[in-house]
Amino acid sequence: MNTDNANKVIVTKGLKKTYHDNGVPVEAVRGIDFTLTEGEFTAIIGPSGSGKTTFLNLMAGLDSPTDGEVELSGKLISAMSGKELSNYRRDHIGFIFQAYNLFPVLTVEENIEYIMLLQGIKKKERHERVINILKQVELEDYAHRLPSKLSGGQQQRVAVARAMVSRPKLIIADEPTANLDSKTSGDLLDMMRKLNEETGMTFLFSTHDEIVMKRARKVVTLRDGLLDTAEEKLIQ
Amino acid sequence: MFARLILISWRNVMRNKRRTMITGVAIGVGLAAMMFSDALFAGMSTLMVETTTDTWMGDAQIHREGFQETANITFTIQHPQRIDSMLQADTLAVASTGRLISPASLQSAMEMKPVTLMGVDHLTEGQVSMLEAATDTGNYFSGDSMEMIIGYKLAADMDLALGDIAVITTAMAESGFASRMFRVSGICKFGSDQYDRYTAFVNIESAGSLLDLTGELHEIAIRFSDPMVAMDPDLPFWTVFSADSNKAEGWPVLAPQITSMIRMANVSLGIQAAILFGLVLFGIVNSLFMSVYERMYEFGVMKAVGTSKRAIILMVLLEAFWLGLAGSIIGTLLGFGVIQYFASVGISFGEVDFSGVMFDRPIHTLVDWSRLWIYPAATLLFTTLAGIYPGIHAGNLNPSEAMRKSL
Repeated sequence: MNTDNANKVIVTKGLKKTYHDNGVPVEAVRGIDFTLTEGEFTAIIGPSGSGKTTFLNLMAGLDSPTDGEVELSGKLISAMSGKELSNYRRDHIGFIFQAYNLFPVLTVEENIEYIMLLQGIKKKERHERVINILKQVELEDYAHRLPSKLSGGQQQRVAVARAMVSRPKLIIADEPTANLDSKTSGDLLDMMRKLNEETGMTFLFSTHDEIVMKRARKVVTLRDGLLDTAEEKLIQ
Repeated sequence: MFARLILISWRNVMRNKRRTMITGVAIGVGLAAMMFSDALFAGMSTLMVETTTDTWMGDAQIHREGFQETANITFTIQHPQRIDSMLQADTLAVASTGRLISPASLQSAMEMKPVTLMGVDHLTEGQVSMLEAATDTGNYFSGDSMEMIIGYKLAADMDLALGDIAVITTAMAESGFASRMFRVSGICKFGSDQYDRYTAFVNIESAGSLLDLTGELHEIAIRFSDPMVAMDPDLPFWTVFSADSNKAEGWPVLAPQITSMIRMANVSLGIQAAILFGLVLFGIVNSLFMSVYERMYEFGVMKAVGTSKRAIILMVLLEAFWLGLAGSIIGTLLGFGVIQYFASVGISFGEVDFSGVMFDRPIHTLVDWSRLWIYPAATLLFTTLAGIYPGIHAGNLNPSEAMRKSL
């Protein structure tokens, strides 16, 4: 990593993505320059269809851009093979999706340790980390329950625990409160912000939820596939 | 990770118990049908061989070269006593009997008919053929030179009854003709015209004196410990006993129509297996694809968090394996039950006269695990392999597309 990229988790340059919906080209992202630095707790906001999810997917390497570049910790995604990218995501990015993102056939404990299994972490260490993270998300009594036996808020807390337990540099959360009531959303965001402050992990959200916006330290607005730099805010 | 994939795949299969059960039963029924067909064909083949060999032929026969083609009564077996001694010492042969065979005519007070004169050794014939068992009226041979056993149809045609006298006339080996009176001592019923209508059985000594072939033999019929041994064309027995212008042959050569029937049955069984396995294969692929499409979001999440393509393929293969295992267990139990039932009660197809042999016994399915194990094993293998295509499809999913499509 060169010094310019020090502390920069994600850098995008001229990022574009065009989909074809029944043969009709749809420009979801139309040339975004964006930088995310370590420790940020940033929300990308915008109305439905503004390209938030597409932008997050491009930054996480879940989708390939039509044009432009994405650098993850100084490495160009386009220079990585599929396997390298998959391994990079496994080791450096934690994901929280809208809902139903837990594996329904695995218990809370098994869901949380899944990524550590992929990483080849030993059983003892996996167990210790699971116990600790469950305490942090206040779900230590639910370790052996299946996701279907948890409330929506509890499920998202498990998702947060799963995303964080492998100690990634970056947590990407795509509308994490979309299916939660306002109190649960507030509690979840408070917990995530606390974890951000304690661990220094970088959080990047997409949302159109006021509760998330109020708790984010930085808010960037996406409109029609472009960043609205005039509306970028730093919140103390 | 592999252990966890086993766990996940098992739980995935059990997520939709009804579908798993239906798929498992479908596989199982297909497997049971295959096992039953195999057992039925095995039973049919065994019955055909046993009926053919038990009726008259034995499992093998020795003749003088040329005798069968020409029916020339001068073509007698060379060194019959030595062959008898060799057969006594042979571990494969459990019984043998000598015969004299000649064309002849049978004359009663009312009728005259062409017959095959069959001189048999009354002491050993019963160990090889069913003549003794088939003699259901009168008596089997006691050794009296006047005794004659004829089939019930011949008896009816000639208007002969037990105790009646008839004359057999035949050409002698060297020259001339000979006639001799015999008394009907027994009437037999083989179920085949060849023996019931066209053969007259007498003691071999009587036949020998009539044909001027005393001490000679035209045919030695042999019983093996296992008739199927005769299917081996490289059996040393054939070489050992095919010497000095004699020729030893097993039932597959003596009754090639039976061998052809068995071969045809095996081919049709193979075709049936290919069709059934093909159907099962497509059924599994369909079921797994449905399962994959239902879990697109999950596969998207799995890929997003770094699960390798190989792990996803393996997981789907394991799911196919579990389905195959369930189907194999259901099919094996079902198949075994059906096979055992029909092994006990048999399936009757009525009376069929095929190449001089009457097939009138019910076919009993034959449980031969040296063959039957192949079907559950093949089912398990094929159903697991059926997971390759859906597995690769799932493994190649683009995570963002998979999640977007399923939302």
